[in-house]
Amino acid sequence: MDALVLGLVLGGLYALLAQSFVLTFITTKTLNFAVGEFVALGAFVVLAVAGWSWLPDVGKLAVGVLVAAVVGAAAYRFLVVPFMTEGEHDVRWLLSTVALSFVMLNLITNVEGPSPQRSETARLSGAVDVLGAGVSKQQLLIAVLAVVVTVLLVVASKKTSAGLVMRAVSQDPETTSLMGVSPRLVGMVTYAVAMGIAALTGTLYAATVGASPVMGAPLLVASIAVAVVGGLSSLWGPLLGGALYGVLSEVTSYEFGAIWGETAGLLLVIVVLVWRPQGLLGRRTEVKL
Amino acid sequence: MSILDQESRSAPPTRESSRRPARWPARPWARDALFAVAALAVAFIAILPGRDGAGPSISLMQLVASMAAMTVAAVGLNLLMGYAKLVSLGQGGFYAIGAYATAWLVLDGGWHPLLAIAGALALCGAVGAVVAVASMQLRGPQFSVITLVLAILVERILNEGALFGRLAGYPNHAQHGTTGLPPIEVLGFTLEPPMIANTVATVMVPVVVVTALVVIVSRNIARSPWGSSLSAIGESEMLASHLGVDVFHRKVSVFVLASVFGGLGGVITTLCFAHLQPETFDIFLTITIVLAVVFGGSGTVLGPLVGAVGIVWLEQSDILAQLGDLQQEYISSQWYLSTPGLVGVLFVLTLFLMPKGIVGTIGALVMGRRQRADVAEDDGAGLQETAGLPATAEAVSDASVDGASPAGRAGEPLLVMRGVGKNFGGLKAVADMDLTVGRGQIHAVIGPNGAGKSTLANLLTGVYKPSSGSVRFEGREITGLAPHKVARAGVARTFQTPQLFHDATVLDNVLAGFPDTGRTPLWAAALKPPSRYRRDAEMRAEAERLLNLVGLTEFTRLRAGELPYGKQRALEIARALASQPELIVLDEPAAGLLATETAGLGDLLLSLRAHGYALIVVEHHMDLVARIADQVTCMDQGRLLSRGTPQQVLSDEGVVSAYLGKPMEEHS
Repeated sequence: MDALVLGLVLGGLYALLAQSFVLTFITTKTLNFAVGEFVALGAFVVLAVAGWSWLPDVGKLAVGVLVAAVVGAAAYRFLVVPFMTEGEHDVRWLLSTVALSFVMLNLITNVEGPSPQRSETARLSGAVDVLGAGVSKQQLLIAVLAVVVTVLLVVASKKTSAGLVMRAVSQDPETTSLMGVSPRLVGMVTYAVAMGIAALTGTLYAATVGASPVMGAPLLVASIAVAVVGGLSSLWGPLLGGALYGVLSEVTSYEFGAIWGETAGLLLVIVVLVWRPQGLLGRRTEVKL
Repeated sequence: MSILDQESRSAPPTRESSRRPARWPARPWARDALFAVAALAVAFIAILPGRDGAGPSISLMQLVASMAAMTVAAVGLNLLMGYAKLVSLGQGGFYAIGAYATAWLVLDGGWHPLLAIAGALALCGAVGAVVAVASMQLRGPQFSVITLVLAILVERILNEGALFGRLAGYPNHAQHGTTGLPPIEVLGFTLEPPMIANTVATVMVPVVVVTALVVIVSRNIARSPWGSSLSAIGESEMLASHLGVDVFHRKVSVFVLASVFGGLGGVITTLCFAHLQPETFDIFLTITIVLAVVFGGSGTVLGPLVGAVGIVWLEQSDILAQLGDLQQEYISSQWYLSTPGLVGVLFVLTLFLMPKGIVGTIGALVMGRRQRADVAEDDGAGLQETAGLPATAEAVSDASVDGASPAGRAGEPLLVMRGVGKNFGGLKAVADMDLTVGRGQIHAVIGPNGAGKSTLANLLTGVYKPSSGSVRFEGREITGLAPHKVARAGVARTFQTPQLFHDATVLDNVLAGFPDTGRTPLWAAALKPPSRYRRDAEMRAEAERLLNLVGLTEFTRLRAGELPYGKQRALEIARALASQPELIVLDEPAAGLLATETAGLGDLLLSLRAHGYALIVVEHHMDLVARIADQVTCMDQGRLLSRGTPQQVLSDEGVVSAYLGKPMEEHS
C-alpha cells in the first residue's frame, strides 16, 4: 500500500515533466532531449534569486520559469527549426538537442560545481499521511500540480483560441500557415511553455533533493518513458503513464530492490510500444501514399 | 545512397562500358582488391610504432585501440543510421554489452576467450533482435527513444549490478583478486594488451585486422543490392516494399548487424584495456558514436572511420582541454566549456556547416566537379533538349527483347480481381469491383476524384488488405499479400508523384529496381563472391538497356533529382521494368506532364505493350486513355460505372455525367 501511494506521488513528478515532452511533440513533432538541463536551469535560476527578499516565492518561481521559457524558445528557433526541414524522417533536431544538453550540462557544472546545493524556495516541510503512507508535502504538491497543469492545458487547448491554433498546427502546419498563422511562432511559444514547466518541476524538485547539474538526468529518462507510455500525442497521457510507471517501478523496487524498479519501468515502455506504438492514449496517424 | 556509392557504382563512363562490356567484371574486382589492400596497409602502419613495445609507444597503441573500437561501432551504426535512416541512440549499450559479456564469460564463466567473444557477440545480436522486433513499427523519435532506453538500462545494470563490481569496475580486487583480465592465449600466441612497457602489444595485430575487415565488409554491404535496400527503407518504407524488400525482416537484420558491430567495439575495448569501468559506458559514449558517424559522413563508406578517428583523437588529445583553459583565462573562470560541452558545440557546428560530414562533403565536391565535366562533354545535349519522353519506336527496335520478357503469350488473363471491396471505418472506398487484365493489354481505370481508383491500385499492390473479394495473379491467389510479396510475384508500380532516390544517379535508381534488392542474402552482400560481380555486370547492362528503352541513356550519370519532371516519370517506369514484372500499375503517369510529354508517354506505354507487358493505367487524361487503352473501366464512388472499349466508355452518358456533366468533347 505504501509503495502504491508513493508510486502515484512519484508518478506525478514524472507526469509533470512528461507534459513538456507531450506539448512539444503535439505541436512540432519534436522532443527536446535537453529537458533535463532545463530542469537544472530553472532550479539554479531560482537559487540565484533566492536572496531577493522583496520577492515572494511565487515571484522567484516565475523568474526561473521565464528564463527557461526564453532559453527554450531560442533553442527551438536556432537548434530545432533548422534541423527539421526535410520532412518527418528528418530527425537531426534530435542530435542538436542532445548536443544542447551536453553544452548546458557542462556550462552549469562549470559555473555551479557538481555537488547539490540546498534550495529553500517554494519548499514545504513536513509530511502528511495519505492512506497510511507518509508522503512529504513537497512531493504531494508536485503531484497535485501535475494534475492541475494537465487540466489547465487540456482546458486551454479546448477552450481558448491559442489552444485552437496549437491543435491546428499539430494537425496540418502547412494549411495553418496559409491561414496566416506562423507555425514557427506557435512552436516557439510551445517550447517556451514546455521549458517553463520543466523549470517549475526543477525548482520544486530541487527543494527535496537540492539543485545539482545532473538532477535532470534521472527525471529525463523517467519522464520520456512516462510520455511514451501515455502517448506522446495526448495531454492526458502523462497522468496515466506517470501513474503506471510510478506504481510499477515503486512496487518492484520495494519487492526486489531499486535496480529492478527502474528496469521494470523501462521494460514497461518496450511492452507498451510493441503493443501500441502510439502509446496508451495516443492517436495513430495513418500514413497515406 | 551515398555519394561514394554512386561513385563506385556508376563511375566508369556509360559509353565506354557499352563498347567494351567484356572488361566489366575485371575492373570492379580490381578496385575492391585495391581497397582491401589499402585498408590492411593502413591498419598495419597504424600499429608499426608499437612493434618493439617501447614505453612511449604504449599510449599511442592505446589511442589506436580506442580508435579501432570506436570505428567498428560507428561502422555498424552507420549501416543503420546512414543508410536505413534509423537513428539509434543505443549503440553504446551494445558496446557495453559486448565488453562486459566478453570479460564476464572469460573470468566468471571460464570460457575459452574465442568462445567468450563469440558468445558476447551472439548476446549482442540476440538483444539487438529483441529490441529490433519490439521497435520496428516505430520511426523517427520513438525509435530513438526506445534505443536510448536500452542504452540507459544497460548503463544502470552495469552501475548497480553487484555481479559487475559496480563502481569498482570489472574485474576488481575485492571480487576477483585482480584489476586486470589475464591476456588471452590463442593457438599458442599470447595476446598482450598495450599496458606494460617493453611488452609488445600483440593483441593490436588481430584488433586492427578485424577493424580493417569490418570496414571492407561494410563497404561491400553498402554497395550491394542489400545496401540499396537499406537506402530504399531510409527513403520510404512503402517504396522499399514495392521494390520487393521485406521491410520488417531487413530492418531487423540491419539492426542485429549493427548491434554485433557495436558489441565488437566493446570486445576490442576489453581485449586492449583488460579492465572495465561502468562510467565509461554512459550516454556520452553512445552520443560520441553517433557524433563519429555524423562528423565523418553518415551514409558514406569511409565516414565512420574518419569520424571515429577524428573524435577519439580530439577527445584524448589536449586540444579540447587547452581550449577550455583558454576560455578560463580570457573569458571567465566559471563561464567556460570543457570537453563534453565542446563536443556538443562541435556536434551542432557539424550539423550546421557540414551536414554530410567530412567524407560526404569532400565526396560531393569531387562528384560535382566530375559531373560538370560530363555535362560539358555531352555537348549540351540533355537537359536543354525539349523536356519530354522521346518517341520510342526507335528505342524499341534497338533494344533486344530478352527471352525472359513476357511477349508472345498475349490473351490469357493475367490478373483477375473478383468482388474486391475496401472499407475505411464506415466509408466504402471500393465496393464489389471486378477487374480482368490479359497479358499484353493496357487497361485504363478512370473516374472522378475520390472514385476509388488509387485505392483499387493500392488493393492490387498490397498496400491495403481487401475487406472482401479475391485477387488472383497468374492463377495464384495474392489477396492480402504484403506489398513485397506482390512485387515479387511480378506486379510493379509507379506512384502519383515519382518516388525516386533523388540524390542517387539515374543508373542507381534503375539498379535499385532489380529483384536483387529484395533477395540478395546478407552473406553474399558482405563477402561478395564472384557470382556477385557477374550479376552486377548483368544488372548494369540490363539497366542501360532499360534506360535506352525509356530514352534516358544520356542522363545515366545525372542525379535523379536533377531530371525534369517528365523524365523522372520515365525513370520510374524504367525502375519498374527492372523488376521483370508481368504487370505494371501506373498511378496517374501523365499527371503534371506537358502535352508533348504526355504524347511521348503514350508512345512509351504502347511500346511496353508491344513488348508483352500488361499495364493498368489510372489516368485522368482522356486523350491519352483513348489513344492507348484496350479496355477502360470507369469507377464512381467506389463502384464500377462503365466498362468497355475507350469509345464505348467515353461516350457513356453515366460516365459523362459522373464527370460533372461536362461533355467529353472538351476533354478530347
